[in-house]
Amino acid sequence: MGTSTSQLSKEDVSEYQELTFLTKQEILLAHKRFVELHEDKKNPPDTRHFRLTMDKIVKLPELQCNPFRDRICHVFSTSEQKDGSLTFEDFLDLLSAFSDSATLEIKSHYAFRIFDFDGDGTLGCADLEKLVNCLTGETDDTRLTSEEMRQLINNILEESDIDKDGTVNLSEFQHVISRSPDFVSSFKIVL
Amino acid sequence: MVQPAVIATDALPPLPAIIIIYIGTVFHHYNQQNNFAQCYWNWTLQTRATQTSSLETLEIDRRKTHHTNPYAMENPAWHDDRAGQRHPPGGHSGTDDATGRVPGGWQDQSWRGTESIPMDPMSAGAEGPSRQHDLIHSTFQNHPDSHERSSSTQLPSLISGNTTLRWRGVAMRRISLFPNADPSCVELTEEAIRNEMENEEQDLVKELVALSTRERIRAIQDLPMSFGEKKHIRSQVLAFKSSTKSQQFTCFADCSENMSLTFRRCGYSVKSARQTLQLWQGIMKEISGKFGTSVLSYFLFLKWLLMFNIFSFLINFGFITIPLLVYDVSPNVPPNMSFRGLEILTGVGYFNYTVMYYGGYSNETIVGQVEYNMQLAYFFTIAVYMVLCGIVLIFSMAISFKENYVLADAASESAWQLLCSWDFSITSERAVRLRKNNLRVQLKESLSEKTQRTRLTLSVKLKHFGVYLGSWLLSTSLALGCGASIYYLCLYEQQKTTDTENWTLLQEAETLLVPFVVSLMNLVVPLFYSLFNKFEHYSSHRRQIYALVVRNVFLKMSILGVLCYYWMNVVAKKFSCWESMVGQALYRLVIFDFFFLMLGSFFGEFLSNVIGTRLLPRIGVPEFDVARNVLELIYAQTLAWIGIYFSPLLPAIQIIKFFILFYLKKVSLTQNCQPPRRTGRAAQMQTIFIALLFFPFFVGALSMVAYISWSLTPSERCGPFRGLSNSFSVVIVWIHHLEGIPGSQWVIWIYRHVIRSEIFYFIITLIILIIIYIFWQVTRGRKELIALLRQQIVNEGKDKTFLLDKLQNLQKSKPKKPSKQMNQKKHTKHSSGSQSNSSAVAQVLLARQQFEGDEERRDVGGVPVPADISTSSALIQALMARQRAEDLDENVYQKPDNNTSSSSTFAQAMHDRERAKSHGRDDHYTPSGFSENPTNGSSALLQAMQARQRAEQDRGDYAHDLPSSVSGVMQAKQRAEEEDGIQWTAAPSLNPAPPGSSALIQAMLARQQAQNEFDDGY
Repeated sequence: MGTSTSQLSKEDVSEYQELTFLTKQEILLAHKRFVELHEDKKNPPDTRHFRLTMDKIVKLPELQCNPFRDRICHVFSTSEQKDGSLTFEDFLDLLSAFSDSATLEIKSHYAFRIFDFDGDGTLGCADLEKLVNCLTGETDDTRLTSEEMRQLINNILEESDIDKDGTVNLSEFQHVISRSPDFVSSFKIVL
Repeated sequence: MVQPAVIATDALPPLPAIIIIYIGTVFHHYNQQNNFAQCYWNWTLQTRATQTSSLETLEIDRRKTHHTNPYAMENPAWHDDRAGQRHPPGGHSGTDDATGRVPGGWQDQSWRGTESIPMDPMSAGAEGPSRQHDLIHSTFQNHPDSHERSSSTQLPSLISGNTTLRWRGVAMRRISLFPNADPSCVELTEEAIRNEMENEEQDLVKELVALSTRERIRAIQDLPMSFGEKKHIRSQVLAFKSSTKSQQFTCFADCSENMSLTFRRCGYSVKSARQTLQLWQGIMKEISGKFGTSVLSYFLFLKWLLMFNIFSFLINFGFITIPLLVYDVSPNVPPNMSFRGLEILTGVGYFNYTVMYYGGYSNETIVGQVEYNMQLAYFFTIAVYMVLCGIVLIFSMAISFKENYVLADAASESAWQLLCSWDFSITSERAVRLRKNNLRVQLKESLSEKTQRTRLTLSVKLKHFGVYLGSWLLSTSLALGCGASIYYLCLYEQQKTTDTENWTLLQEAETLLVPFVVSLMNLVVPLFYSLFNKFEHYSSHRRQIYALVVRNVFLKMSILGVLCYYWMNVVAKKFSCWESMVGQALYRLVIFDFFFLMLGSFFGEFLSNVIGTRLLPRIGVPEFDVARNVLELIYAQTLAWIGIYFSPLLPAIQIIKFFILFYLKKVSLTQNCQPPRRTGRAAQMQTIFIALLFFPFFVGALSMVAYISWSLTPSERCGPFRGLSNSFSVVIVWIHHLEGIPGSQWVIWIYRHVIRSEIFYFIITLIILIIIYIFWQVTRGRKELIALLRQQIVNEGKDKTFLLDKLQNLQKSKPKKPSKQMNQKKHTKHSSGSQSNSSAVAQVLLARQQFEGDEERRDVGGVPVPADISTSSALIQALMARQRAEDLDENVYQKPDNNTSSSSTFAQAMHDRERAKSHGRDDHYTPSGFSENPTNGSSALLQAMQARQRAEQDRGDYAHDLPSSVSGVMQAKQRAEEEDGIQWTAAPSLNPAPPGSSALIQAMLARQQAQNEFDDGY
């Protein structure tokens, strides 16, 4: 089965260990899962350069039900095509950011990017609306009414928009995060 | 600190760009203020460092989104949406034009999303791309000199870790954005960005090289970059390192490098091994996947307690039991004693003669290959275990408090809190659905709470108060009643029991009465408490839970307190081997507690599930009550702690109990329960539970054990301490013994002068009190500082709103301007006008900030320098500068017209901008250099003037430097400065009012703000 190509070399593992928050087991497990996601059993991919498409990544049980799965893929993808496909290293990055030992700084940074739907560097009203919709359900009957939404977004901005510019930027967001202690324990995906 | 560079750079693109840049800079300012509290002295430097990058970051950010936003609204007018959205609600008065463009204003429309907003006629469409190019050009061209200054000279070692982190974040952003560059202008962008990237990177690498290996790895891990980029940085660092290494190669360095590598490898393998040994990882994952982190916290707590018990079992078994067993294997059971089976429940009889209880241990010194003093071993093992437990508890409590309480928001259930606590670990579709529903309900509740925080009438309030009072009275009396009834029950039982060795089966069974009643009370009374809770109207869910927890704690404390009292005062006086009797009683309590925990999960979860699903669907499937279950665990652990003196092997029972309980609860949870309806605050609840475990429960157990070993006489016939007046006298005897041995003088000295001396404790207490007082004062100072900084941020925000309003006003008046004035010369003039305007604005802000900074420095330093002089002069300066800004402001509105004109204008303007940028940097750094000098009393004034002069000079330089093609711009600009008033007199009928009146308003505003800050400072 050509295990030699799909196995990680020792140097690779130690490099991965040094650059991410993951332990050796986690890296090996991640590798195993990554190879498994690549359904073509005959030709195990060369994990250094191979990209898994987003549809395959989101089949991962840990991501399958996550309302932010597409966003997560896009944020961590280094693909030029913006298709949310992940290399193994991107995948490790993802797991590292969501791991137990990642710092609040890293976690809040990536959370911000995940929540920043339009990718403009701030959480504007549209981002916040999308975020709330994402968390409360997208269908018409579960969605908040527009009046409620407006009020909610006003509340959010009132709470966090310290400089009153109508958007929440990274530092404001990190300020908010630092005051909600549940964030660190809930921003976590473990394989 | 808004620097000329920042604004001048973007003087060319229209309003939104300026706004964005402005906002960016203000916000970077805010970042630094966050740091401020920690490293005040680095402040100025930091600002410099971040400022430069903030500007460029924003630019690139913008470009990136513009071209290649993956989420794309194809709408290039996003810019304008943003501009629309960014108008603060407060600043609405002067934005008629904006409201005209955006029907209904931002409050109605813009939040709904981008699709509904019409394009801004001014900056959208065809103008977009050209502006873009312009941006690119300028970024590209200004880069070389600006960067030399900004990065290589401005990032010396002085910058603290905090800054580098921020800074790195910024750097990262830029670097990671690089691949997103749009192909259409790839040549230019790429080069520009690459240059910048390289510079950033080099700085980063330099910083990293300076760190130690461990710190470096940590820092690289902390970079919010993609893996490939981290790898690149790392290889660069290593290359840099090796190149410097080769010059100063020593054997020692090589050795230490190797050593650190080995240590690191060791560290990794230890970490991996620890992870492999982690118990129940899969189950934990399953639970958090289905029920979320709040339920998981119960299981984590259970596991944590299990670890405590395993540790205690290991040391008790290792240091007390094994030596005894090695010495004398067979328990000295009387021949007529047989194992009857009931012992497993009661713990009497056969067990009484084993090492299970205190009575089973001897007081001899075991003489084998080495001498082993059982008395000392028993005493020190228990003491060390209790002390270690205390230390672990204190540390975990402190850490937990630090993380979850100190920083936490006081306002409960705010919207962000709900949004941020979304569990990413949930993996089941059903749980996600439920959670979404719950979150929606909670959000709606929080909204309705906010809107209808109605004032309760007096009668309603009185009614609520009555209910509280009633339920508190009732619950307290219930707890006290439970305690009293247990006491009398114990007394009654004690009268019947005798000291005889051979109990009949009935006698033995009678001993089960007390533990049965105690456990029953522990099961039933909390149910009553939950019932009371239903009738009370607490304003928040959290309060409700706290009330419930406090009542339960009170109940358990009263029960345990009564039992301890009974053991120490009644049992200790009556029975010949009373420690073993207490040990048995505790054994029974532990066993019965276990049975009732099982019953509790049967009744509490299984039955209510059956009722909820079959009989009364209205009630619904129960939730897992984390608070109740955790309290049960705490109670169980307290029993084990109290029992450790009387029955050293009780932790073994506890381990088995917790182990079974874990699986039982897990099954019960997955079969019977639904995910919790309420989310949030799990971390804080956990903190509370750890705190409760420590106080009163652990402290209570510790003080009881301490009291027993210091004050009570151990039984004379059994146990390791037989024949002593109290357990502690073991140590006294040992010290006496040591006096005979030479070389052990230090032990005696320590004993005499530390352990037995009052003066030592007195001094220690005094020192601790002083330290506490100092820290308390420091904390207070920090709080004040935080308040101050907050105020500053708000002021910055006000500033920004004000400027936005201003710009809005000017834009509004723009269409009225006759188009015939729009010749090219005018354009350039205006563009330069706007530039000088912006630098003037920047000067104002600079001046303001510096004088603020000054004030603060004085404040922090505690030097009572009267601030009046510098304040007032800075004020004047600010006013002047602001007025000037005001005068020049009017030109801004014409700036967009540049975009419509020919490309030569662009070229000129571009140069213009580039110049401005580099000059701006000069401005930027010079004053900061001054501000580093803390002895400069009235430096605010000086700096402001310097800044101004420099700005002026720059403009002067400009004339000499510029190639002939742009000299026209120069002249125009100079004239613009002179003509400020004239220009407006040229069109007085159109806009007569704004300049004068708004200048006045502005001046007043500036004064007021300065006044505010002055007040805040003192």
